[in-house]
Amino acid sequence: MKAFGEIWRSNIFQKWLMALTGLLLVGFLLGHLSGNLLVFLGKEDINSYAHGLHTMGHGMVIWIVRLGLLSMFVLHVVAAITLSRRNRAARPTSYAKVTPRRSTIASRSMLYSGLLLLTYVLYHLAHFTWGVVHAENYVGQPGWQYTLADGTVVADVYRMVVASFQIPLVAVLYVLAMVMVGLHLNHAIASAFQTMGVTNKRIVPAIRSIGPLLSFIIAAGFSAVPLAILAGVVK
Amino acid sequence: MNLRLHIWRQSGPDAQGMLKTYDVQNVSEHMSFLEMLDVLNEDLLTKGEVPVAFDHDCREGICGTCGMVINGRPHGPLTRTTACQLHMRTFKDGDEIYIEPWRARAFPVMRDLIVDRGSFDRIIQKGGFVSVNTGNAQDGNAIPISKKDADRAMDAAACIGCGACVAACPNSSAMLFTSAKIGHLGSLPQGQTERSTRAMNMVLQMDAEGFGACTNHYECEAACPKGISAEFIAQMNKDFVASAFGGRD
Repeated sequence: MKAFGEIWRSNIFQKWLMALTGLLLVGFLLGHLSGNLLVFLGKEDINSYAHGLHTMGHGMVIWIVRLGLLSMFVLHVVAAITLSRRNRAARPTSYAKVTPRRSTIASRSMLYSGLLLLTYVLYHLAHFTWGVVHAENYVGQPGWQYTLADGTVVADVYRMVVASFQIPLVAVLYVLAMVMVGLHLNHAIASAFQTMGVTNKRIVPAIRSIGPLLSFIIAAGFSAVPLAILAGVVK
Repeated sequence: MNLRLHIWRQSGPDAQGMLKTYDVQNVSEHMSFLEMLDVLNEDLLTKGEVPVAFDHDCREGICGTCGMVINGRPHGPLTRTTACQLHMRTFKDGDEIYIEPWRARAFPVMRDLIVDRGSFDRIIQKGGFVSVNTGNAQDGNAIPISKKDADRAMDAAACIGCGACVAACPNSSAMLFTSAKIGHLGSLPQGQTERSTRAMNMVLQMDAEGFGACTNHYECEAACPKGISAEFIAQMNKDFVASAFGGRD
């Protein structure tokens, strides 16, 4: 057996790390999306859902999930930067003329869409989790409570979401970020399975068509909430 | 037909190179791309200039020696074709053609369009073989191999090691080449004994040579004159990780 350090540093292992963490993050996005769509069901549903997330396992579960997400994110980003630097170094002189055959805008812009998303995620957390930006719409304010059907008084997440997305700039930034998510995942999902070594002749073509479709569904699903609020359908 | 060529000229490994423009007249559509360059070189020699250096050997599309990036595509615009099998009828009168060497840190330019592909040899030396004791010839068909496995091994073995995959890859990755070698031997019973160490050692050598990492653009598969599938890369990824977590030395 080779030393683990040598294996860890190898390009293929780093790619595996990216693929694995990336797929887990896609899994998180699907969970996040299903939660967001509760906005369409009304105040009661999303507020009790949000309350449930924060109180599950005496409030432990959310921290375990957050820690997991943070480590996946760090591993994914560090591996991406490591590999991108190596890939740049592998071609010191560029071609005068390049005529791509198979690569797509999505596949060639993975680093850029990824870095833009990283920036957006920080802003997104500052907004909805830390309450640092747009603080006037944050749930922590006095009077922003909601009483559930069972009488429990919980934070009014519904009101925070609606008030935030009624600001056109916030909604537009959000939708643009979702376009980035769609672009990133358009290449990422099928790519991750290739990296992890899926070679089955029946499964591979399915993955290559499901990947872009799923990325579209995720981007469109997330965008539906701010668009509906901006259009006044949800208020 | 008359053509305008922009060719990378570099007098030696450490020299500064640049694209130089040449006009070639009366090119026959029946010429191969390399014959067109031969005509240009005759012309340059007559004028007392240094001819363009390029690699070539069989000129039958089977040896993998020739290779240059023609208008941004390794081996030129046709699919499954080496530069020597590309004919001038693919081009038309008045075309401008950019001719550049393979670009990769692991393929240093020696002169003009010639690169040193010794890095491929060193990857092969790390495991692109099966260790057998020579002796009496084995009986034919002594080891049964299914048609499916034989076909798969042959598909991978079609690799002629030209390096077009590296040249086409935006990351100068050699994963299609290396995976074809690993996939070829890994598909056959004779290759199983060393399968784990082969994947590990060849992959680590590929990294050490300074090739980039695959980002699944599949430009390699599209540029490969032998049409080798990027599915072999997926198989290599699987073999490498299997070797890392349970391989034998």
